[in-house]
Amino acid sequence: MNETSASLRPLTKLPPEALPWLPRPVRRMREEIAALPAEALPALQAARLLAQSGRDEPELRLLGRKIRTILTSAPAHFAGEARKQGLVPMHLLILSASTASHLTDALIGTAIRFGVLLQVTAAEYEEPDSWLARNGDALKRNPVDAVLLASDNRMFKLAAPLGDEDAARQTIDVALSQIARIVDVARTATGKSVILQTLAGDPDAFQINMDLGLAGSPRQLRSAFNRRLAEFSRQTSCLLLDVNGIAELVGQSAWSAARFWYAAKYPFAPAMIPLYADHVMRILAAQLGRSRRVLVLDLDNTMWGGIVGDDGMEGLALGTGTPLGETYTALQRMALSYKERGIILCVSSKNDETIALDAFRNHPEMVLKEEDIVAFRVNWDDKAANIKAIAGMTDLGLESFVFLDDNPAERKRVRDALPAVAVPELPDDPSEWIGVFQAAGYFEQASFSREDQLRAGFYKANARRAAQLERIGNHDDYLRSLEMTLSIAPFDQSGRKRIAQLIAKSNQFNLTTRRYSEAEVEAVQASSDAVTAQARLADMFGDNGMISTVICRLKDGSLEIDSWIMSCRVLGRRVEEAILQHLVHEAKRHAAVELIGRYIPTARNGLVKDHFEKLGFSKISTDTDGATTWRLVVGDYRDKDLPMKVEAGSASTA
Amino acid sequence: MDQAPASRDAILGRLQDIFRAELDDDDLRISLDTRQADLKGWDSLAHVRLVSAIESEFDFQFNLSEIEEINSVRQFVDLIVEHTQ
Repeated sequence: MNETSASLRPLTKLPPEALPWLPRPVRRMREEIAALPAEALPALQAARLLAQSGRDEPELRLLGRKIRTILTSAPAHFAGEARKQGLVPMHLLILSASTASHLTDALIGTAIRFGVLLQVTAAEYEEPDSWLARNGDALKRNPVDAVLLASDNRMFKLAAPLGDEDAARQTIDVALSQIARIVDVARTATGKSVILQTLAGDPDAFQINMDLGLAGSPRQLRSAFNRRLAEFSRQTSCLLLDVNGIAELVGQSAWSAARFWYAAKYPFAPAMIPLYADHVMRILAAQLGRSRRVLVLDLDNTMWGGIVGDDGMEGLALGTGTPLGETYTALQRMALSYKERGIILCVSSKNDETIALDAFRNHPEMVLKEEDIVAFRVNWDDKAANIKAIAGMTDLGLESFVFLDDNPAERKRVRDALPAVAVPELPDDPSEWIGVFQAAGYFEQASFSREDQLRAGFYKANARRAAQLERIGNHDDYLRSLEMTLSIAPFDQSGRKRIAQLIAKSNQFNLTTRRYSEAEVEAVQASSDAVTAQARLADMFGDNGMISTVICRLKDGSLEIDSWIMSCRVLGRRVEEAILQHLVHEAKRHAAVELIGRYIPTARNGLVKDHFEKLGFSKISTDTDGATTWRLVVGDYRDKDLPMKVEAGSASTA
Repeated sequence: MDQAPASRDAILGRLQDIFRAELDDDDLRISLDTRQADLKGWDSLAHVRLVSAIESEFDFQFNLSEIEEINSVRQFVDLIVEHTQ
């Protein structure tokens, strides 16, 4: 009966809560789960693939529960093995005055979509501060990696006399100070990032059209609260989960479900949980450096209407005048808006290169210009191979890639060949693509820094450097010809956002992959036993911005390197040698006799496996999980002649 | 209506899968006569999970008083028939 009703009423347009950018599942979750391999690691890898399709809330919960069961019975050394396969464990604490435990399994099922093995502790039906006060010891025994303050309308009960602006402001002040107190207690108890939620509009609250401007009305209070909360979270380096934005996307009445509130104190409709969980995980994944950074675009019927090789440049649908042409103009504008947020744009198209580039350069309605595109791969080769080639050219991992293509066969081919690449499903009608693509939220980021705006330029400049190297031939001569200046300074306030971003995003040149939030970076900066360095590199082709951060700790005459991160943009420039030299000088200044380095392997940092060895350290131990520890005796180090000017000590001006 | 008995069996079969999943018991067997009091796992939280899963599976909504009153498999089947036929 359900089968027939489904075929009578085909879903031409999937709502946002159905995660329409994900392919539809082929089989029921319980059949898939029954067919999972018996061993833990293969089972989790298969589960990760299952999570790549759009599942409803009950199916997502089933998957989450299965993952939980696998993890409970997994052997002790399992975490290290999983990490090498790109599956990172994470523990999330949810604080809620309503029900929250019903989110647990759906969150776990969603987390594996992002390569995260999530553990959830749900503190529900209680004021968050009192729960934290009672559970300090438990949090020490089982530390969390992030805290989600899942507040809702029922927790704050915002109310003020109508028309009284002072009272309305005061009401918001009180709610904000309540949040500030909880954030304070949560940070003291966990030392980790806190995620704050905006309040969704309440369709059950009294509202008439004028209310948005009437002090003390539910609409005015909620909108003022949300604005103040966003400012507060920016000022205090909290992360913001814009629940109101999600509710607006799906519609307030679809978001809220009074039935489920009255029946079980659910803060919003269970059908919305997959979308909510996806948003929570986007934020957490961005903290782990797992947000996407590259958008690869197909051309024919994706960035313009028609096939340029057949229809000719004049025959393409692009630009004002025709509805389809306007759609493609809007799609190009969307791509350009991502570039402005620091996303790298590339092109992969099956085309004759001269014809496609001619249209790109000379079609009068092109919004995207040739200089907006970091890499073009226009040929008749397999697209998966082309995307791999682009990954090689830009030094960015496939996990950073999103591929936009109108052709379902190409999408499937890339998904099958390169499961790490995100390939959004698209509706048949191109005018609906932008909404679906934006809702997928591939490019989540916790903060915005100057580097984001300049990023495409950095990669462009790299292409010019490559040309120079080709001309000069000898690598050292080439490096000297770049006229590099490396500025090294301790962490400071003006560099903090970018430092936190590098720590969050770097996966390849990252020795220990320890992630620190902005708040934790601030704490490190203030700590007396920490030696920190942020480095910026400029050369004749431009400023590369901040490209490296190091955190060391002084301990019993040693300088221990806790974290060493470098942007892959500046690989092969001998920057790491210059930074080591700086660290040796710092060690001397603090009377340390040795540098201790550590390498913790992950699925993505094989690049720096021999980092310390190359710098002249000797290995002192290897752990069972493959982590290695290295020593360099300060007295044995001799200063090197490096192909750059090094300026140490000055504060960052970014 | 002559197809009703077969449909009720088919509904019961799909409910069996949902009950097994939501109560986390792969060997669970339910019948029309199974009552909430008979199943240890069918507590108030599981009840809401069952409601949510049945709504997804059969693509309709229970109203609040139905959610409150249901305490047997038979009631679920009756309401599914009522809501979907």
